[in-house]
Amino acid sequence: MTKPDTDMLETLFQDARATPPALPDGLMDRIMADALAQQPASGARGWRAIWRAIGGAPAFGGLVTATAVGFWIGVAPPSNLPDIAAQIITGASFATLDDGSAPELTAFGWDIEEG
Amino acid sequence: MGRARLIGAPAAVSRKRMSLDAALDVAQDDPDAALLVRYAQGDAAAARVLTVQLTPRAFGHALRVLGDRTEAEDVTQEALMRLWKIAPDWRTGEAKVSTWLYRVVANLCTDRLRKRRGSVPLEDIAEPADPAESAEAKLQRGARLDALQAALDTLPDRQRQAVVLRHIEGLANPEIAAILDIGVEAVESLTARGKRALATLLGGQRDALGYDDDKT
Repeated sequence: MTKPDTDMLETLFQDARATPPALPDGLMDRIMADALAQQPASGARGWRAIWRAIGGAPAFGGLVTATAVGFWIGVAPPSNLPDIAAQIITGASFATLDDGSAPELTAFGWDIEEG
Repeated sequence: MGRARLIGAPAAVSRKRMSLDAALDVAQDDPDAALLVRYAQGDAAAARVLTVQLTPRAFGHALRVLGDRTEAEDVTQEALMRLWKIAPDWRTGEAKVSTWLYRVVANLCTDRLRKRRGSVPLEDIAEPADPAESAEAKLQRGARLDALQAALDTLPDRQRQAVVLRHIEGLANPEIAAILDIGVEAVESLTARGKRALATLLGGQRDALGYDDDKT
């Protein structure tokens, strides 16, 4: 391999590097279409979609907490709230302001009126 | 190479720190891998960027190895299709996306050359352009590239692949070794023999290709 031949070859390689072959018409479009056809769906389906819609694990944690607190309030309501669960289960009537079962509130009303 | 840097990482750093460095190395070494992960997550923009970046490289290699545009087109589309299919299972850090793709292209080319072997009529091999057409520089360059392609077509498959990857695609020998699944020394041997054969083949065409005219 003589020096001139080597130099000529290097020049040829440089030319080849500087002249990338033109792509066939439509090849890029076809490959892009393949890519999109094979691409896993960005919008997940089924339970995964619901999971994403509510915001993933952090949002789900908040939902669980809110649900548990709500359930507990239903089971063991604070003393100043009517025990609706017990009323539903036992069939007892609801407390109302005019049945005398809430004297504190009525008395409070009088206090306001009297100043 | 990323691997060499990992091996050379200071022993005093913690394992966690080193794995972080490794992840950063991979991200810096191979942005295509990050794009492929985004593609697998459903990012259409990543699909477009990967297509635009990888298609010309795959087609360029296939065309120079096969010397046939139609076959090179088929190989390119097939290789990219395999990439899209493997994307959800891609394991970042094991190989560069481009290395993986070149390897698929190289194997698909080898398959086609095997099928073709012994059945290619001589007239199907590109001939150097008529020297009479080389009056203008553009034509001259075209003729030179045709001559290079014709000479490449005469090389054995592995030599051709190694020469194209090294001298036209401009890859480093370790990456070519990974693509062709051989050792670095074998790559050096293949490229040296390939270049020698090309120089011999093309040396006889110096005048026809205008190299004595423009002193290049």
